[in-house]
Amino acid sequence: MAGLQDIRRRIRSVKNTQQVTKAMKMISAVKLRKSQERLVALRPYAGKMMEVVQRVVGRIKGDSEIQPGPTAQAFLNPREEKRIRVVLVASDKGLCGGFNANVLKAANAFVSECAAEIVHLDVVGKRAVEWARKRKMTAAGEYLNIPLTGFQHVVTEIAAGAAAQYQAGEIDALYVIYNYFNSPVAQTPTVFRVFPMALDRREDSREVPEVSHLLEPDPNSVLETLLPRFVETELLRNLLESSASEHGARMAAMDKASNNAGEMIAKLTLTMNKIRQASITNQIIEIVSGANA
Amino acid sequence: MSQTIKLEVVTPERPVFSAEVAEVQFPTASRGYYGILPGHTPLMTEVGDGLLYYILDGQKHWLTVFGGFAEVGPDRVTILARESETVDMIDLERAEASRQRALALLKEAHTEHDLANAQAKLDASLIRLQAAGHPAGHGF
Repeated sequence: MAGLQDIRRRIRSVKNTQQVTKAMKMISAVKLRKSQERLVALRPYAGKMMEVVQRVVGRIKGDSEIQPGPTAQAFLNPREEKRIRVVLVASDKGLCGGFNANVLKAANAFVSECAAEIVHLDVVGKRAVEWARKRKMTAAGEYLNIPLTGFQHVVTEIAAGAAAQYQAGEIDALYVIYNYFNSPVAQTPTVFRVFPMALDRREDSREVPEVSHLLEPDPNSVLETLLPRFVETELLRNLLESSASEHGARMAAMDKASNNAGEMIAKLTLTMNKIRQASITNQIIEIVSGANA
Repeated sequence: MSQTIKLEVVTPERPVFSAEVAEVQFPTASRGYYGILPGHTPLMTEVGDGLLYYILDGQKHWLTVFGGFAEVGPDRVTILARESETVDMIDLERAEASRQRALALLKEAHTEHDLANAQAKLDASLIRLQAAGHPAGHGF
């Protein structure tokens, strides 16, 4: 019977694929746990940092005697956004469902809608690099195959660069486009402005006590070191969110692929059995009719 | 007014310590050590490298801190450290090995940059050794 061999071969091939997707799912689960652990460990620090910055900024704003330095201005008086720096975070590898497609769609929308000129683009991950190339945008910073331990280095570089550019008046704002980690199976592409800080957003939701701080040795030197540190922390958080999202998305995609492969195998096995049964029946009929003759 | 201060030490890697304590002293980047008692005036400053101590149940305990920021309120001290460890977290053998390495580097250092790097490494290892009560740390 034609087809029996072919179907057997297909079943074997689907089984192989299923093994690959299952293995990828397991690997993603482990990587997801690692990224998520780091993210969870960072959150208290990032939260405290945000609180401290809020308090200090609240105090500086209420005091007209303090003349903030150029970096501190980023916290206090947003300039008109004419030139901005954008960091786009995607993944190096595919096979993770809509992870890259979603964040790149958000990036497309951002680029076409934003009135400011993007003077400096940083792309993290191969997919982001390819996106920039396709859109004929030159990326000043390309970060490929960054391991979890290398994130700190990347954010230090970007934060220091951005702070210097802000001071020199080359940029007016820093944006990050990344996947926000809702849960292992849900990611939201997010556009986040790191600075100037959106203070109002928090003031409504959380009460900031109006205490007057002594800033030692003097207000400016504290602010000048606090801002790059704050930017670093927020960037690190964004990178970790994206990394956890990526592995979560891949895990979900691979789980689905394994299930689909299972279904396919069941269907093919049924067809194969039917064909085999038909051929046996045929042979019996031939033998019986031969014996009768 | 409360008689205790809530001391919280967090780093990007992990929350290190959190408890109600009676007294805290920490190193600052530019003004030596600050001792904080309950009811201290609100203060914000940069943290230096060194040893932090707090008094809990009449006992002095040590933590290492390396850089970052401290925010002080009447009833709290929040340290956002770049790095920090409790005494239990310190690996004595590793700190000792790192001290030896730093000493070797110090001998070979020619440029000012190398020298500063080696000195910083040596200081960090000495701080850790001192926190863990190792004799080599006492020279620091």
